[in-house]
Amino acid sequence: MGMITLRKPLAFIYKDFISASSYRFSFISQWFGIFFAALTFFFLSKLFGSAVLPYIETYGGDYFSFVIIGIAFASYLQVSLNGFSRCIREAQVLGTLETLLVTQTGIPTIIISSSLYSFILTSARVLVYLLLGVLLFGLKIGDGNYLGALVILLLTIVSFSGLGITSAGFIMVLKRGDPLTWLFSNASWLLGGVFYPVAVLPDWLQRVSYLLPITHSLEGMRMALLKGYTLRELLPNIIPLLAFIIVVLPMSLIVFNYAVRRAKIDGSLIHY
Amino acid sequence: MSHAIETVGVTKRFPQPKGYRELLTSPLKRKEITALEDINIKVMKGELFGLLGPNGAGKTTLIKILCTLILPNEGRAFVNGHDVMKCGRKIRKSIGYVVSEERSFYWRLTGRQNLKFFATLNNLTSPQSRERIDQVVQLTGLGADIDKVFKDYSSGMRQKLAIARGLLTNPEILFLDEPTRNLDPLIAQDVRTFIRERLVNAERKTVVLATHNMHEAEKLCDRIAIMDRGHVKLCDSLNKIRQLVDGETKYVLKVNGAMERLSDALSDMCHEYGIRGPIAEPSSSGPLFRLEVRTVKESISPLLEELLRNDINVQACYPECESLEELFGRIIRRQ
Repeated sequence: MGMITLRKPLAFIYKDFISASSYRFSFISQWFGIFFAALTFFFLSKLFGSAVLPYIETYGGDYFSFVIIGIAFASYLQVSLNGFSRCIREAQVLGTLETLLVTQTGIPTIIISSSLYSFILTSARVLVYLLLGVLLFGLKIGDGNYLGALVILLLTIVSFSGLGITSAGFIMVLKRGDPLTWLFSNASWLLGGVFYPVAVLPDWLQRVSYLLPITHSLEGMRMALLKGYTLRELLPNIIPLLAFIIVVLPMSLIVFNYAVRRAKIDGSLIHY
Repeated sequence: MSHAIETVGVTKRFPQPKGYRELLTSPLKRKEITALEDINIKVMKGELFGLLGPNGAGKTTLIKILCTLILPNEGRAFVNGHDVMKCGRKIRKSIGYVVSEERSFYWRLTGRQNLKFFATLNNLTSPQSRERIDQVVQLTGLGADIDKVFKDYSSGMRQKLAIARGLLTNPEILFLDEPTRNLDPLIAQDVRTFIRERLVNAERKTVVLATHNMHEAEKLCDRIAIMDRGHVKLCDSLNKIRQLVDGETKYVLKVNGAMERLSDALSDMCHEYGIRGPIAEPSSSGPLFRLEVRTVKESISPLLEELLRNDINVQACYPECESLEELFGRIIRRQ
């Protein structure tokens, strides 16, 4: 049974890899985009120089290191928020959703497995970002606490996924125009400290930013990788992420199950 | 005897999208369309049961309810004894759903990769799925085409792959939704023979076949539910349906005579006996006309006597089975 459980996610990953790699140009060109993005931020960091130092001193004082970690790990936010709902929508549009739902695989397994390829691809992209940063642009993460970074990463993925699963529930019923993704995505990019530290925001916006999981994720990740913070020192970031998971994850599963039932009653599972 | 499928008063209403004006004027009022109303059918194990009806009759909706993809608003439905509302997982273990929608496959994967993917989702281990894929490929005659990329498949190959996928778990019950749609007549005939001879006669599977092709239903099905606008109009074997419609039989009369004289003589009888015709038929022994009359057995002798009294020379008189197409038209018109 255990093997079967593991084989299902692997089957999804293999299927998605075959599909994605069959579009050769798109499959290859995506990697070049990472290089250009890294280069852009490298030159931006040159432009800012020491002008931004007071704001990012806490993170080691180097804007390139600051922003490249922000960009790299914010992509997890993107894939967690949109990945699940995109899988649902793709299956609705492609017409495979019904045939998936009539198999002997539960809906949670289908949803989670469908998004795994995106997570693997994102992880590969993050690695390439970091490698390019270290090899070409002087990113210094040699003294980082990698275990701490891994803990933060796992908590980040799970907490963002709670939102993503809720978003998939919206897509199941509304088909388009998911308000949750729109709100969280925009708020996170604006207030979460991806391109600039939250310290540059007005006080009241800083307070709002700490309600977002991405703020704690990026802060924890930067502290772990750039300053080598221990797990104990990372607790102020770990605890809010855990709290977020405890509240949002069960709620998201309830919302999603309700959405599937609603779509089955409305007969709109395959509508898009 | 336990039934493979049973529905009791199944009713399905779908919400209808409201216009912007209705959203403003009556935001809380539900707008619905009834897709199925009070459906009661029983399908025996090992039976090939047809759902016959025009587009919009509710055939696909009923199949989706039985496959647990849609939930009914009212009534209960049982598949292999399991309630569709409560035991979705158990039901999905015992059914195969063959949807003729070609978009239900992954187009960039080969036929074999598609089957392997769905086999894994149906809990088949690697050796089991390899063995079963080989079996269903042989059964459906896909042969070497199984290793071609799906996007390069012809309509016939896609349909065969859909049937192969439905058979992966060797299910007891198979739902086939328009299995010969988009197929050319020769391939459609192959698929029909396969369904009747291999799936039902040889493998003893229960098959529910939705079709609007009356010829197909007539050739294949043990029993038929005739559906129209969400209602089951009649449900029985074709012979029983013929008797049930009104107990009348269609008789064909072949008569000799001049057309003018026939018309005069028949005009009075047409109303009383519902005579249709005359239709001229080629004959070497003078003008021959075909008349059709739908009447009860007891009335045919008085009619013949009446014809003879009018000097109409009756060459032949025999009962003829109505095609399902004629019967279907009559049932739908009558109601």
